[in-house]
Amino acid sequence: MLNWFTPERQTWLFRVNPALKFVVFFTFMIITLINQNLHFALWQTILYGLLFYVFSGYSLKKLAVLSIPLVISFLSTGLTMLLFGKGESVLWQFGIFKISEESIQHALLLGSKSLSFGLVGFTFILTIQPILFFYAMMQQFRMPSKYAYSFIAAFRLIPAVTEELQIRRNALKVRNVQFSRGSKGLYERLQSYTVPLFAQSIRRAQRIAVAMEAKQYQMGAARTYFYPTRYTHMDVVFIAVMILGFAITLFLSSSGLLTSG
Amino acid sequence: MKKLKFTDILITIMIGVVFGVLMKFWDDLYTVVKPILPVARQLIYGMWFMVGPFAFLLLRKPGTALIASIAGASLSAFAGHGIEVLMYGFMQGLAAELLFAAFRYKRYTIVVAGMAGIASCLASFGLDLVYGYAALETWALIVKYGLRAISAFIFTGIFAVLIVKAIEATGVTSLIRPVDKKEYTLLDQ
Repeated sequence: MLNWFTPERQTWLFRVNPALKFVVFFTFMIITLINQNLHFALWQTILYGLLFYVFSGYSLKKLAVLSIPLVISFLSTGLTMLLFGKGESVLWQFGIFKISEESIQHALLLGSKSLSFGLVGFTFILTIQPILFFYAMMQQFRMPSKYAYSFIAAFRLIPAVTEELQIRRNALKVRNVQFSRGSKGLYERLQSYTVPLFAQSIRRAQRIAVAMEAKQYQMGAARTYFYPTRYTHMDVVFIAVMILGFAITLFLSSSGLLTSG
Repeated sequence: MKKLKFTDILITIMIGVVFGVLMKFWDDLYTVVKPILPVARQLIYGMWFMVGPFAFLLLRKPGTALIASIAGASLSAFAGHGIEVLMYGFMQGLAAELLFAAFRYKRYTIVVAGMAGIASCLASFGLDLVYGYAALETWALIVKYGLRAISAFIFTGIFAVLIVKAIEATGVTSLIRPVDKKEYTLLDQ
């Protein structure tokens, strides 16, 4: 599974400092969230699409597979708005469903926003190594080491957690456990999975924390890092590309090239 | 104020991450239910508000609801749900945290936990409005978020409290909770 996430080629995006990449992307995503201008949202989506499809360094086949959830999220957020959105100039109506010109606009806005989030999210996770991301957060952005190492430890335990979940599922199947119907069954299902899973994870996390402190890990103490991360000239390139891209999309959206409205 | 020790932080983040994994599986159920039963889908939505209050009910220390919520959201973000889930995780965790703080972190009942879930639901509603859902018809907004708030109460109130009780029975909570005054006085006898 992890091999699947090996890119075909390491593009320039891979050499950007992972923490800086996160901070820049996060800032852009806040802009995407609060933006209410349809043209700007559409051009932004194209910008992030370029980043994802051209510069992530993955084969077209893999990019196509990854596009499936993106399309689903575009459709599901868009459809809700399309059918239940506010609007005066009604084009089509059936029972509680109503499509109007305004709801089409809003659906496109919402859909392109969720597409932008998905594209940037994928571009980010495909071009970083999670462990190095936390190391860079500590070194470049002064994230307290207690949080960063906790995250690293917890992330490293994910395979154990999913394996346990699988074992639990099989155990319940072997014993032919039947759940009740309705919300009671929902609770039974939730409880039968979560209780052993959390009990075990808490014990494991506690043991790790005790072991780390036994080996003289101290919160807040000055420390050196096993993986040093730093800024390079690639970070300047990255920031320049993002600002330039932002400026171009801003210009294009005000020129109204994409939509006739 | 009981400050968080390193053990508490690691366990809180672990709880968040395990929740993230569970939510990944929950998401499959959600996606299946989504197109067929729009009402049922809102009713199982409460799972997404559960992580913060659940962590607080387990550890009973300030800060845990917010940290666990962010941890759960970061796992979702790394699992490919997009960076915006981090904003939601932060706001939902903060809302739950503030609600527990309003009760001076001393109430662990179904009602208070359920209210924390509804607070999280309100926070996510606020973000959704900014996102663009404000353009929905008013009745659709009320139905959607009304059901969601009910679901938030059921999951973070009733389900979370019951599950935490069941976990208490396993004995692990004695590893993590602050020691009561009562327990000290027991030693003196």
